[in-house]
Amino acid sequence: MTPGLKEPMARPTTTTPGGRMRESKMKPVPVPEHRARSVKLEHLSAFYGDHPAVRGVTLEFRPNDVTAIIGPSGCGKSTLVRCVNRMHEEIPGSRVEGTVTLDDEDIYAPGADPVAVRAAVGMVFQKANPFPTMSVFDNVAAGLRLTGRKGRDLGARVESALRSAGLWDEVKDGLGRAGSALSGGQQQRLCIARAIAVEPEVILMDEPCSALDPQATLRIEELIGDLKGRYTIAIVTHNMQQAARVADSTAFMLNGELVEFAPTDKIFTNPGDKRTEDYVTGRFG
Amino acid sequence: MSDTRRDFHDQLQELEEATLSTLELTSGALDQAIEAVLNRDGELAVMVIDNDDRIDGRYLDVHQGVLSLLARQAPVASDLRLVAAVLHTIRHVERIGDLCVNIAKLVPLMGEPPDGADEIIAKLLAAGNQARDQIRQAGVAFRQRNLNLAENLVSEDDVIDRLNRLVFREAVEIGSDEHARQWGAHVMLIARYIERIGDNTVDIGEQIAFVVSGQFREFTDASHSDVANSEL
Repeated sequence: MTPGLKEPMARPTTTTPGGRMRESKMKPVPVPEHRARSVKLEHLSAFYGDHPAVRGVTLEFRPNDVTAIIGPSGCGKSTLVRCVNRMHEEIPGSRVEGTVTLDDEDIYAPGADPVAVRAAVGMVFQKANPFPTMSVFDNVAAGLRLTGRKGRDLGARVESALRSAGLWDEVKDGLGRAGSALSGGQQQRLCIARAIAVEPEVILMDEPCSALDPQATLRIEELIGDLKGRYTIAIVTHNMQQAARVADSTAFMLNGELVEFAPTDKIFTNPGDKRTEDYVTGRFG
Repeated sequence: MSDTRRDFHDQLQELEEATLSTLELTSGALDQAIEAVLNRDGELAVMVIDNDDRIDGRYLDVHQGVLSLLARQAPVASDLRLVAAVLHTIRHVERIGDLCVNIAKLVPLMGEPPDGADEIIAKLLAAGNQARDQIRQAGVAFRQRNLNLAENLVSEDDVIDRLNRLVFREAVEIGSDEHARQWGAHVMLIARYIERIGDNTVDIGEQIAFVVSGQFREFTDASHSDVANSEL
């Protein structure tokens, strides 16, 4: 267990000689390069009351890969990713069985802090959800402030996150505007900036483009390609062509079970399971 | 099972049918081309040449249809493999049609067979019949998604390869006068064209195997075959 998942989030910060900021109790410590982490799900089941929405799924989101999760509505794909940042347990009556590890850390281990998990595993949702009363700047800074990582370089961090999200050039002259005044595609990139501002290791995206027009969708997809060099990315999508375009690996789920998990090329050219074949070719009823 | 992409799958099936029915046209063209050679029938040869426009038209139609499906329907998995196989196969079909035309164009140039030509003519007829049977076998294998029948085209094609080599050996010794030498050169070309038709059927067999198995592999590797027994 690394300190990050157990310890309180609001803590003093310091800057290392290399310029990177990180948490520290007493003195600066050497900061490792930002790196994506492997997410391993083993025999993961998720329940709403007695109903199992996810049934015994074992798979890995590999570092610096984009993993797409596809499947019909109700197959459990959104529930699956919500287990990876411990959001599933926020629903009354829900529970999780099995393990989810971030590298070798069990995020459901006793004492693991869900808030710390969510800082390490960011999430972008179907509908862009910027804080409606906050400015563009404050939307991105919110996560940093909440995790106690505000500081003199807050502005630089916000700029860096907006640049990484491909939004800086469009908002740099209007950082004080309300985030909700941006276009739908810009709002979604603002949410991505907010997620990456706190430097997570994993980014989960749940239908991030389903409310966007084709051009905004392609911008997000391009951004996903740019971000995977620094993060582990999992994307839930109903759009199979989107999975085909952006993902290195694709998982097909059906009725809560993982039917097939393979390189995206294989899923879309020669799937190994007939149920996958039927689904991707539209013969699924 | 319900098919949520029925129109797309209907279009794909139509393209496959157009391809395989065009393949059947080439078997008729080959029969006519060989018959024209054997009977020195210039009119029949012209008919083969003219009818190739129909095959070329089908090729263009299927080609355009495949591009349209790729652009508009984004086929995947077995659908994608079938689309790719149809595009390759219609190209092979078009080539078979052209090879039949090549044979037909030699008819007015050949004249009377020289003395001792009977053996060669019999071998040309045998090779032509074998190639026609392979065209039909490729069509059946495609419709049935029959991997064994597709792979069997390789051993069937060995028959044509052997006949091609025999025709070559006998044709170079057909005679020393100019007409005999020219006739010998023409039958060598015809045997070669038939041999190429056989190769195209094997290539179609490879496409069938790709559709069925998802793995593309060449059934034979011409660049590494035994030189002593290699095709001419």
